[in-house]
Amino acid sequence: MTRDIGSIIMILIGGALLRITSDDVYLRYVKESLRPWLIASGLILIVLGVLQLVDVWRVARREHADTAALSQADAGAAPHGAPRAAWLLVLPILAIYLIAPPALGAFTAERQSSVTTAPAASAQAPPLPAGDPVVLPLNDYASRAIWDDGKTLVGRNVSMTGFATAAPAGGWYLTRLTLTCCAADATVTKILVLGEDSSSSPQPVPVTNSWVTVIGRWLPGGGIQSETAIAHVQARTVTPVPTPRNPYE
Amino acid sequence: MTQVATKRWKPTPIEIFIAGLAIFLLAQRWLVGLFQAPVWQAGATVFVAIVVQALPFLVLGVVLSGLITAYVSPAFFERVLPKKPALAVPVAGAAGVLIPGCECASVPVAGGLMAQGVSPAAALAFLLSSPAINPVVIVSTFVAFPNNHMMALARLIASLIAAVLMGWAWLAFGKGEWLRIPQRDHLHGDTKFETFWRTAAHDFLHAGGFLVIGGVTAAILNVVVPPSWLQAVSDRPLLSIVGLSVLAVVLCICSEADAFVAASLTQFSLTARLAFLVVGPMVDIKLVALQAGTFGRQFAARFAPVTFVVAMSVASLVGWWLL
Repeated sequence: MTRDIGSIIMILIGGALLRITSDDVYLRYVKESLRPWLIASGLILIVLGVLQLVDVWRVARREHADTAALSQADAGAAPHGAPRAAWLLVLPILAIYLIAPPALGAFTAERQSSVTTAPAASAQAPPLPAGDPVVLPLNDYASRAIWDDGKTLVGRNVSMTGFATAAPAGGWYLTRLTLTCCAADATVTKILVLGEDSSSSPQPVPVTNSWVTVIGRWLPGGGIQSETAIAHVQARTVTPVPTPRNPYE
Repeated sequence: MTQVATKRWKPTPIEIFIAGLAIFLLAQRWLVGLFQAPVWQAGATVFVAIVVQALPFLVLGVVLSGLITAYVSPAFFERVLPKKPALAVPVAGAAGVLIPGCECASVPVAGGLMAQGVSPAAALAFLLSSPAINPVVIVSTFVAFPNNHMMALARLIASLIAAVLMGWAWLAFGKGEWLRIPQRDHLHGDTKFETFWRTAAHDFLHAGGFLVIGGVTAAILNVVVPPSWLQAVSDRPLLSIVGLSVLAVVLCICSEADAFVAASLTQFSLTARLAFLVVGPMVDIKLVALQAGTFGRQFAARFAPVTFVVAMSVASLVGWWLL
């Protein structure tokens, strides 16, 4: 790879980082806390690319001006191009600019079982914050239902937002993915949505992967004190909503 | 006619490159259509996620490497490191505490150290230890395991031992011809600043392509390997250590976040999860690809498998002792 192409690749990659952080696209891939680092490294890459491009032009002009005057030693010390593997950097550039892959959703969620990690043994679940209904992340709800016998959930209206996935035994799950670091390590929380009769899912069943807000109450069932237990919720209302700004918890 | 007319037009690389980009731009609709299948979409998302997550750390690494090359003289390292390589290895390993980055940053930095005359064995000990034992990683491990405070300590000890052992192993068995020490002579500019940015740009382009190889491989494994195979080994103590070590290689999680993933793998023993935390920052697909790009394929093909076995064994012993 010649040095001028290397420069353009650095500028394009840096630009790609700036582009996904200029709106919320980066939240499909990484956590919000990485944003300043993405911007900083994007700017650095653009500066490196521009410096190298200017250098290429400068060298070319000097060679053009005095080909004869250029000593052999100088020519030998001129920086060479990048290895062929650097061409592969075109892949993320194309993927980001042209495809901008969507956030992970039902495909990933259906491959994994819901995992709710046990909270620290010493920590009691704190009381729910104020609000009627109180807005809760799915993993918080599941943790309270599964590891605290739902004590803090009794008698409260909760509001949770996630996407729908099909439950193997019939009905549907309210689903949300959680990132630790980036989308490569997504874990899934599923909550079985039941209707007024507490035994079957409310109709109509939302389309798989579509986002809904469920307002309802905690319902015992689905197992407790187990990582793979699936909490239940009795839905009063199920409202279609647009995809949230950050698709992950 | 004149010479101009007879001279055939031959595209320069840059013209081919721009034409190629234009073709992709025109084919965008078709490309997006190709990525409609959920498995392709998920794979592409994981790929972009791994690359985007790694880039700030890689940039940090190449900037540090450029600074070392331009502003730190080889004499400095001669002064701070013991003359004997066998002693320099543990000192360099312990110096890994100083750089709060993950594994993507440590590869170019280790390359920069070698180019400045630090013995390869010492630079390799630093390469392996710094992503695992720096303060950010130890604190995050401490936070991720609120009920097992020994975990952070065990990780620190096991990672340091494994890194130093690998440094000594390189001294004893390593051959110079396996290792391609990054050359810096051609990057020296008229000013220190020019040397700095030339080195950073050079290192980025050398490592970046290999980061992409690692990202593609990890993304494919992520969407193809069923997560259930892990469950199969969780109730066998020895197999689960090997299983989680392999998982660490496949997942390519940043060392600053892997403790939280390990904490969620509660069906496994603490020792198996320690192996996950010790192996991950030293050997994973993305890291091996980066090593191949910086130090040559010959090197990575020998160094990575041995590191895997050493890291896993040391983690098992330390886990058996402390956890």
